[in-house]
Amino acid sequence: MFKEEVLKEIERLNSEHESNVKEVLKRFSIEEEELKTLSGLPLKPVYTPLDIKGNDFLEDISFPGLYPFTRGITPMGYRTKEWTVRQVVGLGTAEETNERLKYLFNQGQTGFSVCGMGYQPYESSDERTFGILGRGGVWIETLADIETLFDGIDMSKISINQIGFSIPVFAMIIAEAKRKGVDLKTLSGTIQNVVLPIGEDFEVKGNGSVDIIEYCAKNLPKWNHTSISVRNNRDEGVTAPQEIAFGIYLGAFTLESVISRGLDVDEIAPRISFFLSSENDFLEEVAKFRAIRRLWARTVKERFKAKNPRSWLMRFHVQTTALNLTAQQPLNNIIRSTIHALAAVLGGAQSMSVNSFDEALAVPTKASATLSLRTQQIIALESGASNVLDPLGGSYCIESLTDQLEEKALDILNEMEALSPHKCFQYIKDKGNDACYTRQKAIDNDEMPVVGVNRFAMEDDIGEVDQWSVDLLKYDPTWREKQIKRLNRVKKERDPQKAEKAKKMLEDAYRDKVNIIEPMIEAVQAYLSIGEIVKVRERVYGPLNMDHIMGCFFGV
Amino acid sequence: MKGNKKIRVLLVADSLGHSTGYYVVAKGLREAGIEVIMGGFQTPGQIVESAVQEDVGFIGYRIMDGAPDVLVQRLMELLKERDVRDIKVILGGIIPPPIMPELRAMGIEGIFTPGTKISAIVDYINSKM
Repeated sequence: MFKEEVLKEIERLNSEHESNVKEVLKRFSIEEEELKTLSGLPLKPVYTPLDIKGNDFLEDISFPGLYPFTRGITPMGYRTKEWTVRQVVGLGTAEETNERLKYLFNQGQTGFSVCGMGYQPYESSDERTFGILGRGGVWIETLADIETLFDGIDMSKISINQIGFSIPVFAMIIAEAKRKGVDLKTLSGTIQNVVLPIGEDFEVKGNGSVDIIEYCAKNLPKWNHTSISVRNNRDEGVTAPQEIAFGIYLGAFTLESVISRGLDVDEIAPRISFFLSSENDFLEEVAKFRAIRRLWARTVKERFKAKNPRSWLMRFHVQTTALNLTAQQPLNNIIRSTIHALAAVLGGAQSMSVNSFDEALAVPTKASATLSLRTQQIIALESGASNVLDPLGGSYCIESLTDQLEEKALDILNEMEALSPHKCFQYIKDKGNDACYTRQKAIDNDEMPVVGVNRFAMEDDIGEVDQWSVDLLKYDPTWREKQIKRLNRVKKERDPQKAEKAKKMLEDAYRDKVNIIEPMIEAVQAYLSIGEIVKVRERVYGPLNMDHIMGCFFGV
Repeated sequence: MKGNKKIRVLLVADSLGHSTGYYVVAKGLREAGIEVIMGGFQTPGQIVESAVQEDVGFIGYRIMDGAPDVLVQRLMELLKERDVRDIKVILGGIIPPPIMPELRAMGIEGIFTPGTKISAIVDYINSKM
């Protein structure tokens, strides 16, 4: 991108600068230390055109909306489509979450994102829900709960995000849309679904995750049937290149699995979305979003030979990191999350959820959830950061980091591709376990600075949260009783014959290994509970393996 | 506890969800020479059974999805019912500070929220031996 003689002159100036720096360091007796990004990539104190001289503007950077989409997937970015403000909600029963959702929509939230739906494969009356039900997400078990959850919410106007990939819950959402007369062709949303190479009996036929994708490809053109979630892996403390590599690996594995069922890459790829983290290292994170978008475009186009340009686009949701939020001096988390959110916007996120400052202490209150919403709105409306597309693009530093991250991620991908899919999944898990421990040790021995924890700590500040004016949400034990009553009422009021017939029909569908989505919709319309559905499934597949959190039981 | 027997800790969780902290603590305790039994997700009833069977000195209870006051109260009641007196319960996870006095009143001394150094947990366990 630069003329030879200019580069030569820059090189001369660069070495002059370097010796200047050395002299200054010496004069101030500062030890020269090696700078690194959070992920361990080498950092320089200053960047010049020399650092991106191998870069080809047209091939590697280009324009927003043009391959390889380093700078964004659309020509106008946030000017034509603002990112979706999608705070995660999930507390109590469907009633409490519905109320919180409606409140947030009134306050300017634009997307629906609910956690907890169908996470547990048993009924509310089970002993295992005691003291749990409604705290780590909303409790949903029959279609009646979904009806309450969406009460007063126009399903045709919002984009619906299902966290986790419980198939009964997915079927309930579809059933509810049908009941309300919403055209499935216009229904927009995302399911956090991914095909994982786990389980002893992993195969494409009878695999619920593949069923979801196949069903959506045929019936729900505006539904993201896949959401490659590497955000939680990143939140175990793995590096940015690992986050990129794991995401691309799982995306490619999902594509391969579905293609082997006879679908074409261009039927599936346009509706694959990603779920990423936004970590502490601001510059590295901006570069990460650019690098993963470019690498996905290249992978889908070059490796999978996708022809439809929409297939090449990587669209992603960001949930800011929770790993770096502290219980100590909790208000500091507001500042942290703001920086994380800004990186995501400068990186071109399509959708975002900003963690609330009290999440290391309790489930967010109405006030703290509102503050997260306002954080996004202030960035969008006041900071000016979203007016220019990829405003950090062209920075010698950001471009150099983008290149390095892509390269490093490719190295990891190559290492992974040499392993079997089962081993790869284990590899991802192992790297996560190693990373979180290494990180904890670095904090414990003060190597990694955490303000309020190992820097500027204050005596006994956890015990005195009051001094931070933090009001925390209290768990309501009556949620459980209320839900059990609800379930009993639903079972009493449903048509018993229809329910029995539905059980039989579902069992046959599991046994025949047909695509499970249509039968599941029928089953939930008969008001079978998730607990009952799991029992039906167990008759065919045997007991659920509860260790495979993301495999069997989320995707029952 | 008896003689030079190695310290045994039963590590359990209130749910199957996100388990980063759970594994970090397990690894840290092991590195400090403490024997850790990974119990995974268990109800208070199951925890008491496992603790008795495994003959542990400590129960390390990670609570993230559940309500600590509700779960711990149940656990302490069941321990009492089984007449288990020498097992100490340690808590970790998302523990709202306002309920800490209540938890302490139930007999919980070691409460470790995010931001805790692993060495603090190890020191606490050693001090109770």
